Amino acid sequence: MYCFDPSRTDRFELDFVPMTQENSAHELLLHLDGVGKTFRMGEVSVHALKTVNLEIYHGEFLVMVGPSGSGKTTMLNIIGGLDQPSFGKVWYGDEDLSNVSQRELTRYRRETVGFVFQFYNLVPTLTARENVMVATELVKNPIDVDEALRLVGLSERSNHFPSQMSGGEQQRVAIARALAKNPELLLCDEPTGALDFETGKKVLRLLVDLKNTLGKTVLIITHNAAIAEAADRVVRLRSGEIVETHSNPHPKPPEDIEW
Amino acid sequence: MVRVLDRKLLRELRHQKGLLLAITTLVAVGVMCFVYMRSAHRNLKNAQSNYNTQCRMADFWIDLKKAPIAELQDLAELRGITELRPRIQFLCTVDLPDAKEPINGLVLSMPDRRTPVINDVILKRGDYFTDQRRDEVLVNNAFAKKHGIKPGDIIHLILNNRRQELHVVGTAISSEFTYLVGPGAISPDPEHFGVFYLKQTYAEEVFDFDGAANQLVGLLAPELREHPDAILRAAEARLKTYGVFSVTPLKDQQSHRFLSDEIRGIGTFAGMMPIVFLAVAALVLNVLLLRLIDQQRVVIGTLKGLGYSNAELFLHFTKFSSVIGLAGGLVGWAMGYQMSAWVTQIYQTMFEFPELKNNVYPELYLIGMAISLTCSVAGSFRGARAALSLQPAEAMRSKPPAEGGRVWIERIPMLWSRLSSGWRMVLRNMIRHKARTIVGVFAASMGAAILSCGFILQTSMGYLISFQFSKIDRSDVDLTFKDERGVDALFDARRLPAVDHAEPILDVACEFFNGPYRRKGVIRGLMPDARLTTPRDIHEDRILPPESGVVIPRKLAELMHLQPGDMLEFEPIKGVRKHCRVPIIRLADSYMGLMVYANIDYLRGLIGEEQAVSGVQLEVDERPEAMRELTRTVKRLPAVQTYVSRKSMIHNLNSTLVEMQNVFIGIMVIFAGVIFFASLLNMSLIGLAERRREVATFLVQGYSEWQVGGFFFRETMVTAIVGTLLGFPLGYLLVFWLTKNYDTEMFRFPLRTPPVVWVKTFMWGLGFAFAAHVFVQREISRMDWRDALSVKE
Ligand SMILES: Nc1ncnc2c1ncn2[C@@H]1O[C@H](COP(=O)(O)OP(=O)(O)OP(=O)(O)O)[C@@H](O)[C@H]1O
Ligand SMILES: [Mg+2]
Repeated sequence: MYCFDPSRTDRFELDFVPMTQENSAHELLLHLDGVGKTFRMGEVSVHALKTVNLEIYHGEFLVMVGPSGSGKTTMLNIIGGLDQPSFGKVWYGDEDLSNVSQRELTRYRRETVGFVFQFYNLVPTLTARENVMVATELVKNPIDVDEALRLVGLSERSNHFPSQMSGGEQQRVAIARALAKNPELLLCDEPTGALDFETGKKVLRLLVDLKNTLGKTVLIITHNAAIAEAADRVVRLRSGEIVETHSNPHPKPPEDIEW
Repeated sequence: MVRVLDRKLLRELRHQKGLLLAITTLVAVGVMCFVYMRSAHRNLKNAQSNYNTQCRMADFWIDLKKAPIAELQDLAELRGITELRPRIQFLCTVDLPDAKEPINGLVLSMPDRRTPVINDVILKRGDYFTDQRRDEVLVNNAFAKKHGIKPGDIIHLILNNRRQELHVVGTAISSEFTYLVGPGAISPDPEHFGVFYLKQTYAEEVFDFDGAANQLVGLLAPELREHPDAILRAAEARLKTYGVFSVTPLKDQQSHRFLSDEIRGIGTFAGMMPIVFLAVAALVLNVLLLRLIDQQRVVIGTLKGLGYSNAELFLHFTKFSSVIGLAGGLVGWAMGYQMSAWVTQIYQTMFEFPELKNNVYPELYLIGMAISLTCSVAGSFRGARAALSLQPAEAMRSKPPAEGGRVWIERIPMLWSRLSSGWRMVLRNMIRHKARTIVGVFAASMGAAILSCGFILQTSMGYLISFQFSKIDRSDVDLTFKDERGVDALFDARRLPAVDHAEPILDVACEFFNGPYRRKGVIRGLMPDARLTTPRDIHEDRILPPESGVVIPRKLAELMHLQPGDMLEFEPIKGVRKHCRVPIIRLADSYMGLMVYANIDYLRGLIGEEQAVSGVQLEVDERPEAMRELTRTVKRLPAVQTYVSRKSMIHNLNSTLVEMQNVFIGIMVIFAGVIFFASLLNMSLIGLAERRREVATFLVQGYSEWQVGGFFFRETMVTAIVGTLLGFPLGYLLVFWLTKNYDTEMFRFPLRTPPVVWVKTFMWGLGFAFAAHVFVQREISRMDWRDALSVKE
């Protein structure tokens, strides 16, 4: 489906492969139905998510923005099967993720989701390459590990340990790890937070390409309003509620974005 | 399948080398103790039973004055007696040209031609008797070795008051003398005591025992072996006319009983000690793995988030802990095997066995391994379960400082306000990590308990020897006479060269009775002003022989359910077997043997022999030339049956029993030290691993390595000190329990706990804490703290 041209290491990009299913962008992939999350700490309750309804479609590039503490990560965790909502339902096809067995949930995380964690969460005792392998060994149809590292521009660093890499490099390993699983749904929690302008753009390009060429569904959390311009749809959260959703009929290519 | 995770595992094992080494050592020592103590115990037990079978060890011994062999053989008519062998036994004096002191010997008759008799011998060198000479002798192997006697040599024995020249044809051992002790001795001393086997025909001739014997050894039907009393009483009754001195069932046979007591003692040790060691190792291991895995919480959350299943992650951590358990178990096996071989070897110096093999008992090894594996896997299981039960999102968040509130000690303002901020941190930390602190303190207390137990036993052993030989038995030389001569023997003794002072004694072997309780023993008659034997009470105060009545040892009182004021019934074994009842005046305390004391005249009255004296105790001029003179004279005295030099007896005791005890106590102390040290070290290292970030932060802020190390040092110290103090009562209880179980008729351990024992334990505890901290401090110095801070987890 994809291939790698070694002469083009300046850009992190996939070769263009035409999409086979033109209309898949309107198929419903995931549906949050009245989802809320409350954290209890002793006597204090934090309503991280109040009542959220959201539909996510196949092959969509969705961006989530909102102030710090507004519940973005919480929502992404629920979508990714990393956490259970306190109430409401999460429909993945006809499966309610808030109400399946641990085994089902593990399968969902393993086979469907690729997650870029906000704090990268690399395994400190594994090299960059091995950190990616941790993910690829889980799935039947992964992207080649070296290819994944090349895509994020880290071919040279593949044998380095996380402690030997900068924050931005660690973040890119985390991205490589998520996409190497070749998942249907890619969830990225501030994937460009630690990256400079140029690198950030390249990463964004990569994500957009994944969506365009491979038909992946991509969900990004960001503080950077500019990134929203590249999205098909932008969801804005405030205090645990979706306060605004708007669609971009003509998302900007990442190269044109003013950072 | 999950190959990267295996790589992670190997790398983590490698990274934590120091910690893993410390954990492995701990487990290995636990497993080793289990394996070696129990193996040594079984080795000895098997050796005993094999040896007894090999020599066809008798089930009973009957000593009598003299009886026709034909009559003795008739006893086989008694149902339950399956085989009999009458034989001749006599004590003798061995006349070796180069001996410094007179040497006692025991002469036994054996068939002229080799047949597999009861109490057979196993030849070590040379051959059995030949038909060529009548005066052939087999010499007990240890004695022969000690004196360089070999087949073909000639030795001289004083037999029936005549000096006889005998041809040594071989050297031999027998299960009858596995623990070979001479008259009046308590430890094997092949330099001063040997056994000599003569041809039956020759023995009959030389002792004027034509067709007669004075000892009967026999086998019982298997079903009677456990309860031989009734049949033996019947046998005794039938032999009454021949003057039965004593009837001894196997369990009371000196060598057998001593060996059995020793085996039982080791069994007690082997039952208890490894459990203590293993319990400590298991607990510490459990906590360590729990903490080690807890440190991986975030990684667990991440892996789970990536799609790993709980089962896969469980497997991963189980592999990790299995490696530790396996390593500990294997090292424990190897060390256990070595130790068991070594300890078994040590027993060979005390007990003469044909072969004392160090066997491998697979089930012991498997149990040891199983315990090691179970503990480590259980520890990791608990740790992994805690992290795996969380949602990945939750696990990935750095651990909430749930215990972050105030700890109880802060509510004691009096105390809290006086503490420096460093101490506050240390105490808060210890209280928050309750489980770890408790296990640390527990391990330290067990270490301290075993240490102090070792020190107490050592002290007690020393006390026992000095109490017995500088307070109770104070003579330099004891002579016993062949028969109870009149007081003129005493005058002879006083005239011996080099003798400064002599006191007569009268030992009357008898059987004591109290209702259902019976026991063989000796009553020793003492002069009213005797100063060479002075029974003592528990405060070491002298007990004078009462004008009438007897003083009995506390242990005998216990065994016979008697107390002062009760009547002691007894019947002398030799002479007129008159039944006597005497009042018990006081209890004496002694830690060896079960000697009953009485006034010599009172005792003479009881047995109806005016002037009886069975021996004499001497205080002598111990200069070598004077002693040589004494030895030479005593050798020629026909009246003297045995000669016991206190000095060589103590020397021998020290170099055998005491030495062995000290080695075992030493081993125990070393292992307790290892446990103590390794647990402290483990606890500190794990604490350090857990708080790398915190340490790094302190260092970055400008704290020196020593200041940061100081926090850890204080924790270690508090753990060690509290643990040690708690270990004191535990140690006392442990000794109490051990001495109760090690208590035999031959030996009892006095429980001596002078302050020095506690001080020593305490100092060792502090020492271990210091030593453990050296490692921790080194880790802090070597730590790459930038590393610790740069990785986001
Ligand atoms: N496990 C938890 N326990 C308690 N409170 C939590 C927990 N997780 C999140 N919260 C709270 O829920 C709220 C939403 O958190 P969340 O991480 O979703 O915010 P966010 O939008 O991702 O913020 P940021 O942009 O800073 O990452 C915050 O107030 C946070 O403190
Ligand atoms: Mg967030």
